[in-house]
Amino acid sequence: MDVGTVLNTMRDPAGVPAPPLVFQVLAVVTWVFHIAFVFLTLGSGVLAVYAFYKREAGPFWEQLSLAMTKVAKVGVSLLIVLGVAPLLFTQVIYDPQWYTSNVLSAAWAIGFIFTLIVGYCLWFVFYEANHEGAKRYVGIYAVMSLVLFALDGLIMHVLTYQAIQPDKWMSWYAPGGIVDNSGTTLHAIEWPRYLFIMSLSAPAIGLYLLAYADYLSVRKDKTREYLEFSRNLGRKIAAGGGIISASLALWWQFDLPASTGLRSEPLGWAIPLGFAMLGWLASQRILRLHGYILLSLGAAMIALLAIWRELIRIAYLKPFGYVADAYKIHADLPSTVLFFSTILGVGGLVGGYYLTLLYRAGRVEGTYTASPGVSRLGSAAVAVLVVWIGVFFVYGVAIWLRNAFLA
Amino acid sequence: MDNMLGMYPTFYVPYIGTAWVMGIIGVIHVVASHTSVGAAFLFALLETKAYRDNQPQLLDFIKRYGLFLLVFSYIIGSITGPGIWYAITVASPRGVSGLIHNFVWVWAAEWVYFTVEVIGVYALVYLVGKIDPLSHLKLTWSFALASWATMLLIVGILSFMMWPGSESWYETGSTSDAFYNINFFAHLGVRTGSMLVMAAVVGLLVVPGMKDEALKASVVRLIAPVGLVGGLFSVIMFLYYLQTLPKNAHVMLEAHLLPIYAEGMIAVAAVTAIYLISAMLWPQMIRLWVAVPLFLFIAIVGVWPEERMRESMRKPYVAGQYIYGNQVIARDVPGKGIVGEVDTIADKGLLKLHPFIPDRLRTITSENKLEVGELLAKIACSNCHSLNPGAPLRSLPDKFRRSTDEDLIAAFLKGPLRHGSVAYMPRIDLPDDEIGAIAHYIATVNGKAGPLKQDATPIAEANPNSETKKE
Repeated sequence: MDVGTVLNTMRDPAGVPAPPLVFQVLAVVTWVFHIAFVFLTLGSGVLAVYAFYKREAGPFWEQLSLAMTKVAKVGVSLLIVLGVAPLLFTQVIYDPQWYTSNVLSAAWAIGFIFTLIVGYCLWFVFYEANHEGAKRYVGIYAVMSLVLFALDGLIMHVLTYQAIQPDKWMSWYAPGGIVDNSGTTLHAIEWPRYLFIMSLSAPAIGLYLLAYADYLSVRKDKTREYLEFSRNLGRKIAAGGGIISASLALWWQFDLPASTGLRSEPLGWAIPLGFAMLGWLASQRILRLHGYILLSLGAAMIALLAIWRELIRIAYLKPFGYVADAYKIHADLPSTVLFFSTILGVGGLVGGYYLTLLYRAGRVEGTYTASPGVSRLGSAAVAVLVVWIGVFFVYGVAIWLRNAFLA
Repeated sequence: MDNMLGMYPTFYVPYIGTAWVMGIIGVIHVVASHTSVGAAFLFALLETKAYRDNQPQLLDFIKRYGLFLLVFSYIIGSITGPGIWYAITVASPRGVSGLIHNFVWVWAAEWVYFTVEVIGVYALVYLVGKIDPLSHLKLTWSFALASWATMLLIVGILSFMMWPGSESWYETGSTSDAFYNINFFAHLGVRTGSMLVMAAVVGLLVVPGMKDEALKASVVRLIAPVGLVGGLFSVIMFLYYLQTLPKNAHVMLEAHLLPIYAEGMIAVAAVTAIYLISAMLWPQMIRLWVAVPLFLFIAIVGVWPEERMRESMRKPYVAGQYIYGNQVIARDVPGKGIVGEVDTIADKGLLKLHPFIPDRLRTITSENKLEVGELLAKIACSNCHSLNPGAPLRSLPDKFRRSTDEDLIAAFLKGPLRHGSVAYMPRIDLPDDEIGAIAHYIATVNGKAGPLKQDATPIAEANPNSETKKE
């Protein structure tokens, strides 16, 4: 059977409820947030373990290890929840690719869940055990946790990479014509891509340390020496990490199939160049940029990477005649309004309230008392939820009654 | 397209099937997520009491419970939530695709709440005592409402999986008609009540760690009644929920499910009620060795049957009574331009239409008949039936009573199955040669397995009221 015909037949017959471009943009944008926390978690996790085993080398390593352990703990929660959105939007427009790839390695897709749970729990064990004077062996929990997280990253990489090679699916599913329903094989790994993406944890944690030092600079209970120690370490990691990531990005660039034409795309070259420059900028002591600016530049680089990933997917699938934009549209206005009003109203007010409280409370010693503006934001957060739930029920009861008695 | 169907490869898990994989992850998720939503309301009630009565020590309980909740519910809940997606993706790719393409914006809205919740739970726990009490109270109430909103959103999708309940959605294709289906409010009531029960039961797990006996008693006397009222509400709504189910669900329920699960469900309700009433009367009796086993009993014996029943009752469909468990689209949905595939399969057969059949198996020969039969059985049957003799997931060999008579097996496939006359089974109308291959495969498996030692439920129970111990 023709692969292109198969792909287009496998599109969901229900179509999509808004123009496919909307989902494509949302998939790219939300992936930026997800992967940023992946980098932060892995970077802080590795640094937490490194600092843990270096406690005797200086006065600040232990403090740093405790701080990074907490960052990784919160980071995992956020990377998981932020990973839901790109997963959702991707499967709206690339459903044939994503579902087939998952089924072909189904045991790994299921294993991903359990290894993630075990990895997270192990990190919590390390978090609980990592205090002043903790025994050296507790670091093993953290190492095991990070190994599992790296495995989970590999599984996600494989599922994504298999998805864009539909011409190989049948040979993976039925090698030699013998069907294998076990889903126990990881069929395709592109090491340069996987290693490059994993390596970005280094520049990410370097930049985070620079921003961390600037954020805490107003706290009197954090010594200048500790903050300077963090800043210097951040500079070193960001500079070294930037070079390593740029080298791996070059390897990936040369590893892309020549037939796709991706090797000559300027964006593909901008990525290694950008990470090398970012590393250089972060290392500068004279031209010292604020940590927040450097972190923002890092986020911009991740956005470029997200767009590049999507362009790669498009280039791989184009020869098969699969274009996301060709999806049949069955517009559904009420549910579209539901999402956008929720992200603006609830995400903006409630999420904004929580983040404001966390940010401001973290910068004061003792109890933080909300300013009138923050207090009003808190009242608005509760109010928007009451209104949201009210509309949900009023609208729902009207639809339910109509369908139960009038339809 | 008439020459091909948009079907996916098949993932097969021996013995327990993908259904149990899904069920196991689902149970863990339901316990964790219901607890977290319920606990969010308990926090809000406790903190309101702490604020009004100037009892800041209650906040210590919130912090202690919150940390436990963070580890227990949010880690496990937030991973197993997407975990269910992964599980249904590999078990029923077209089923999950149908849901995603109908409800993407609902899920996206739920994701907004998830994100807010995860940030919120950290803020709630770590900002106890670090921000002014009124700001924290607003934080806690907004967290509770946001948590419940995630339940509001997911229940519409789950209840649509059972059925829309009217013809509206099929005609309009509107997400609103799908979401606010006939059993939405009943289902929401059951889950809302259950979340309060779970929250109370988990709250009682945390209580033994409290040193102050007076505070302990006041906390128990606040949370136990919430659990009791929640439980009562849940039972009432469950009885209403039963009235909103489709016919196939009732047949499944009466013939197969209630005989197995009814006693356990009554036992869970009774034990929970006695436990919570006892806690109110004698708060000092709450010890860890009492609370842990009771929590496990209520969580496992209560939630596992509920999830299994919900999964079984919607058979033979996985979504909206338009997609069968075996990926085949069962009927037309004009509102979405969806066309049923059963007749096309009857006309041309799965071997011709399915894109993931190796070419060497597209034509049945005497050499490949067994192999084709196995592949077809996996495609058409394994979503609901294990192909292993003696397996716990509705073993197909056992359902045919380990018969080695190919004609007998084929007679069922050509009769009730072809005509869709078994309420809880899909209409599977295959060409005679494909039926022959499946019958040959089942007979061969049965021949190797040997006769059934004890009586088992046949594939289509003639008398729905007869006693049965296997589902």
